[in-house]
Amino acid sequence: MDLSPNSQTGTAVENGPANLMTAVPMHPRGALLRSVFREERLFLVLSVFIGIFSGLAVVCFRFAIDWCRIYLLGSGATLSTARLLLAPSLTGLVIAVLVIHVFPLARGSGVNQTKAALYIYNGYIPLRTAIGKFITAALAIGSGHSLGPEDPSLQIGASLASALGRRMRLSRDRMRLMAPVGAAAGLAAAFNAPISAVLFVIEEVIGRWTAGILGSVVLSAISSVVVMRWFLGSESLFRIPAVQLERPSELIAYAILGVVGGFASVAFSTGITRLRPRFKALPRWTQYFQPAIAGLLIGIIAVLGAPQVMGAGYEYIDEAMHGQFTWQMLAILAGLKIVATMLSFVSGTPGGMFAPTLFIGALLGAAVGGAEHVFLPHLSGSPGTYALVGMGVLFAGFLRAPMTSVFMVLEVSGNYSIIVPVIVANTIAYVISRGLQPTAIFDVLTRQDGLDLPSMEEQREENILRVEDAMQPPSGPVLDAEQPLEDVLRQIEESPSDIFLVRLQPSGWSHITKQEIRTKVNEGKGAVTLRSVLPMRHLPVLHPDHPLDMALRYANQWPLVPVVSRADLHKLEGVVSERDILNRYRAFEEESGD
Amino acid sequence: MTVREKVQGLGLYPTREPVILALLSALAIVGFLAVGGLSRMFHAQQEALANRWFTRGTGDLKDGHFDLAVGDFRAALRYSRDNYDYQLNLAQSLIGLKKTDEAYAYLINLWEREPENGLVNLELARIAAQKGQTEPALRYYHNAIYATWPGDQEVQRRSTRMELIEYLLGIKAKPQAQSELIALAANLGDDPALHQHVGDLFVQAQDYEHALAEYRLTLKSDHHNSPALAGAGLAAFDLGRYSLAQRYLQVAVAVNPGDEQSADLLKTTDLVLQMDPYQRQISADQRNRIVIEAFAAAGDRLNSCAATVNSSGTRSYESLEQSLIDSWAKMKPKINERDLRRDPDLTEKAMDLVFEIERQTKTACGAPTGTDLALLLIAKLHEGN
Repeated sequence: MDLSPNSQTGTAVENGPANLMTAVPMHPRGALLRSVFREERLFLVLSVFIGIFSGLAVVCFRFAIDWCRIYLLGSGATLSTARLLLAPSLTGLVIAVLVIHVFPLARGSGVNQTKAALYIYNGYIPLRTAIGKFITAALAIGSGHSLGPEDPSLQIGASLASALGRRMRLSRDRMRLMAPVGAAAGLAAAFNAPISAVLFVIEEVIGRWTAGILGSVVLSAISSVVVMRWFLGSESLFRIPAVQLERPSELIAYAILGVVGGFASVAFSTGITRLRPRFKALPRWTQYFQPAIAGLLIGIIAVLGAPQVMGAGYEYIDEAMHGQFTWQMLAILAGLKIVATMLSFVSGTPGGMFAPTLFIGALLGAAVGGAEHVFLPHLSGSPGTYALVGMGVLFAGFLRAPMTSVFMVLEVSGNYSIIVPVIVANTIAYVISRGLQPTAIFDVLTRQDGLDLPSMEEQREENILRVEDAMQPPSGPVLDAEQPLEDVLRQIEESPSDIFLVRLQPSGWSHITKQEIRTKVNEGKGAVTLRSVLPMRHLPVLHPDHPLDMALRYANQWPLVPVVSRADLHKLEGVVSERDILNRYRAFEEESGD
Repeated sequence: MTVREKVQGLGLYPTREPVILALLSALAIVGFLAVGGLSRMFHAQQEALANRWFTRGTGDLKDGHFDLAVGDFRAALRYSRDNYDYQLNLAQSLIGLKKTDEAYAYLINLWEREPENGLVNLELARIAAQKGQTEPALRYYHNAIYATWPGDQEVQRRSTRMELIEYLLGIKAKPQAQSELIALAANLGDDPALHQHVGDLFVQAQDYEHALAEYRLTLKSDHHNSPALAGAGLAAFDLGRYSLAQRYLQVAVAVNPGDEQSADLLKTTDLVLQMDPYQRQISADQRNRIVIEAFAAAGDRLNSCAATVNSSGTRSYESLEQSLIDSWAKMKPKINERDLRRDPDLTEKAMDLVFEIERQTKTACGAPTGTDLALLLIAKLHEGN
């Protein structure tokens, strides 16, 4: 989006997508500030409405998935072979036609599309994407494709928010934030977990914490969850078992789960990242059949005895948590779910990977817990505890959202005694996953789609240059504002430096050049104090831990900026100049290049 | 945000904000109403499906088609995940399929939700009992006894206690079983069949006094109840009240001539009464004749047992038998009516030897029958006198 003033009409013209184009009259500065204040307030109020509308949309989405399931697969728990084979494959054909001809943007990850809206399209997500995602994902999940409703819900929320923002003609900055706010609302309603949704959007989409963003995201997430609970009840996605951790030594058992989960995450993400480009590279006509073939293969897995891999699978997470499978069966189902989800996702079938990730994690966790119990029967953790920790492990290892993974388990379980096992296992899984696959799955998918969105994980890991990295010792003496000019001149005469820092009393810093002092002395003002001739320029101060880009802002205006101790503002730690900063950046570039 | 962007909203928000908010509110209300309608439709359908599958499952469970019932209840739970009855029925179906671990998982959840539910506690007790976990089994059984039950609580509690007693008898915890039986007997009402069953349980718990009392209560309202008569005879027999046992067993055999067990017991009882020299109502001559007969029977038993022991070569018994044979042979000449009449202590000495012979031969040669069994029972009856 580009803004250019129109001098003739006195209006600012916003050049963006056609439906964003608008013209508003110029106003005086006071009114302008008031308007900004109004927009901030309106943005918060809008966040609540975004939450409400997203909540309503997600509730309808849940109904649609259930109805699709009942009418496509049948209402019973035991499904007929014909339905198991035909429902996902025939629906796959319909989905392919819809995605190719009617809703092309319904394909792909909702998280990445929301990020693209934030960083590329100024918050613009067409409403058609939400409609397409709603229809195609409901059909896919309802017919048994191994995908989840969270990612589509996130995108539906983001799309609705974007549409609302466009109607409201918000400023560009606000418009950009509308999509993440809606995404948080959609995800919160789908997960029934507002804190996790807020954290995920902050951690993976926005990537920064500010009060304004956080307030809006929290408001939208909470209001959407309230709406969802109004219609669907407040029960969590699965019944939470009792959590036990009697001895700290049992953490070793959870650490083993972290290791297994880390490798499973790598297998899962490697499978997707390697298969997806190959499927995309196939001739275009094959795209009509890819979801159908994936559906047929999933149907065959179901017919062969694992119907649990179909759909989101929350009911089976619930059963795994309550010890209703043997550990061998749990391990087999987790492996088959990885295969089924890979097939569904790489074939371009719309749907999310959150629920399958939780499914795999929960079943893998319960399997590891069950196996450990066979060999170490004294362990106190129930299968449910391991399943809960396992969900967090896959979330950390596969989706690479370490903070969300911890809070998600806490929020879902409502039990803080599980925090230590979760942190131990998640950290191990995350470290293994990062070690074996340096780029996170969302970033790989983005790059496969030809986009270059900022990677939140890379940003988190980025080395930040600080003022202390660029600061230098002062080249000349530090002058005292109370010294007579003659003394000062004597003091600096031999110094090679042309510019000197002046310490003011009782506080503050200024600077003066050798030439200025010489001129004043030549004018006969040698006896007066330095303070009396100092120009009115109080220098800003920096501290060694400030980011270097902050120093750049000041160094641009001042030839020399003092770097002082936080403990004693009179204690000079060093100085930075624009040249020092640029030299440091240059050196950093060279280091990174090496 | 640039200045121009900020300017953008200036003319817009003051004028439009209230209108927009009103519109959005109206839209939200309309949305709520529309989704509310859909929600009602959705929930009604879910409820109907849940009921349909539950009804089908109940039928399958009743018919013993546990595998079908499991599928039905799982389907019902899909539409009403937290429904207590559905979960309980699913657990019962799983128990029917012998998938106790899976059933246990459901039951323990139900127990956490309603620890006072009788049926859940009972099923958990059964699973624990099946797994040989005595402590939790007893805990759940007791929970079930004092729990809340639908319908007639007393009947349910009584049948649970009976099941607990049967379990205790099964694991040979007879003292605990007796305690439970005493508690049970206190609240039985007037049902003769119930008293008879409790009497049987008392017999199994070897509490013959209470057993006899229960059989008597049964017979009070049903004089010709053959099992109660047989039970009362058995209880009286085990209590050593042979005259009473004889009366009950005679009626039992008369009422049910096919009752061979009672007939055998009656024969033994008759023999005990015939061979007991300590009965009050008999004359001295009769007593002496009984002593002579008992002494001869003990000698026969001793000789036949000695032959068996000698052929098997069990040394420890050989020496014992020899001392008894010597004692018996030494006393034998004195055991006649004249000496017995002359020496009243001889009866006592002779019977002591008879009882000792019967006890030792039982240990060396196994349980006796007929007269020897009667003598052994008489020995037991007069132990300590």
